[in-house]
Amino acid sequence: MEIAYFLGCIMNNRYPGIEKATRKLFEALDIELKDMEGASCCPAPGVFGSFDEETWATIAARNLTLAEDMGADIMTECNGCFGSLFECNHILKENEEKKAEINKNLAEIGREFKGTIDVKHFAQILRDDVGYEKLASLIEKPLDLNVAVHYGCHFLKPTKTIGIEDNAENPSILDDLVEITGAKSVDYKDKMMCCGAGGGLRSRDLDVTTSFTKEKLDHMTEAGVDAIVNVCPFCHLQFDQGQTEVNERYGTDFAIPVFHLAQLYGLAMGLSAEELTFDAQKIDATPAIKKALGE
Amino acid sequence: MSIINRLKSLFKGDNEKEEADINTDVSNTSDDVEVISSQIEKEPVVTEAEPVAEAEEAAVEESEDSVEDLASDDIDPVEEKVETIKEEIHEKVEAKKEEIHEKVETIKEEIHEKVEAEKDAKEAEENSNDKDKERDNMTLLTDKELLNDSNRDPDFTAEFIDAGIETVKHCFQCGTCSGSCPSGRRTPYKVRQIVRKCLLGLKEEVITDDALWMCTTCYTCQERCLRSVKIVEIIKKARNIAAHAGYMAKPHKMTGVFVMNTGHGVPINDATKALRTKIGLPEIPPTTHAYPEALEEVQKICKLTGFDELIGYDEATGGLKE
Repeated sequence: MEIAYFLGCIMNNRYPGIEKATRKLFEALDIELKDMEGASCCPAPGVFGSFDEETWATIAARNLTLAEDMGADIMTECNGCFGSLFECNHILKENEEKKAEINKNLAEIGREFKGTIDVKHFAQILRDDVGYEKLASLIEKPLDLNVAVHYGCHFLKPTKTIGIEDNAENPSILDDLVEITGAKSVDYKDKMMCCGAGGGLRSRDLDVTTSFTKEKLDHMTEAGVDAIVNVCPFCHLQFDQGQTEVNERYGTDFAIPVFHLAQLYGLAMGLSAEELTFDAQKIDATPAIKKALGE
Repeated sequence: MSIINRLKSLFKGDNEKEEADINTDVSNTSDDVEVISSQIEKEPVVTEAEPVAEAEEAAVEESEDSVEDLASDDIDPVEEKVETIKEEIHEKVEAKKEEIHEKVETIKEEIHEKVEAEKDAKEAEENSNDKDKERDNMTLLTDKELLNDSNRDPDFTAEFIDAGIETVKHCFQCGTCSGSCPSGRRTPYKVRQIVRKCLLGLKEEVITDDALWMCTTCYTCQERCLRSVKIVEIIKKARNIAAHAGYMAKPHKMTGVFVMNTGHGVPINDATKALRTKIGLPEIPPTTHAYPEALEEVQKICKLTGFDELIGYDEATGGLKE
């Protein structure tokens, strides 16, 4: 099996430990991750999608054509990238008029959208293409960790077009994937709420964004978790960097370490905290990692 | 406050408590009414309190004199007389008390009546006797507030329909969206209202309102919508129209600048380059960062669609114009 690996921006340019863990995980799963050479920003659905739909769709379509040339489905482990690439692929496959309009732009750079590939989310591939049994076989030592799972928004929603089998209001895919590592997914109030970063809000109004994040952190703290697990580097950044911004604004002392699901698997497969670049994260993950590994 | 306590305070010349009490009774009225009540209150009560004290003193002095006069007489008749005088004094004091109490009550009634009259006058002023007008003031919009066709821009509504968001017409304003909205809990963002305004064609109201940008595109509203209205699509379309009309925040323009300069909304930095090298990844990821010809494609797209002009990109400086 071959997959066109879409990096995006925040993972590779801020939290490379997520990329490292993913490459190691897929190596162990014997799935080849092929680099999409020259891929750009997805582009961000809430920013570009909010300014100029045509620009958004053309840049996204350009990324899609890179994978079409490789003859492989795209995998992304960022909800934002997934939202943009999946949606654009869906629109252009369904709407001939739109496809013609975007292809007119792409022709100027010698490209053409054909509609021959699918866009998949990392977690979706782990559940539907890899399977829980195979994943469980990779776990060297079950992790002892209570986690708050954060689904994020552009993963299962909008359900009418995304079509990942689950219930967007009360999903289980991420909780199941977390529990395969031995960690326990702890329920908490308003679990499905947004982290606050999306839609261009983080760059435009950090006060509003941190207010979302604080509400989530309050509820996670009430549930008594050791760590947050997400499947989106932007949510990851918002809970890591954003947690320090919440503490500055509200005089709080939240200190819940943040794990991308790939990092959680990396830890369970024996990768070090340094390889997973936890040492470069804002919120110290050492206590959670020690607990997880029974040290 | 009991009558005894009230009198005690009156005898002490301490009428503040009394005032406070009466003012509490009328506390629901406006300040000017309170001022009037305290004025009415102060003057008569203060002047009444003094004669009472004088009367008491006079009565006591009188009794002392009588006792002295009788000192030389037989003890029994003296005692009897003292008793009689005492009774007389007591009666006099009681009568005076009663008189003061009545006066206080009368004043209270007067204040109450005045306050009520003020209240009525105010209400009458606010709500005219004309019942239609009264109803207007309570629930109905005035002509000035009512919308008519001159407020509407049908072309604005048509933009949503033309973009394939016909579901904007299906909204029946149930409010499930606003009730589900995490942004609506903390900002002036009212998604139900925006959807309605888009359908009505209230272009200026929609695109000039900063609240339009408070949506994180979390899709909770759209997921729960009973009429399957593509709410997030409506918001994004409204934002597109706003952006093209010049309503775009500088940080948003800067994200556009980053993409035009590097191909990434969040470009790499030296710290991440070092991290990547440390963990055995290529220092530069295999993206537009590593392929200049790929970056040129992205830049060409942005010029083709006019995105560079939209954000005010300055090719010479690689920043924003102005």
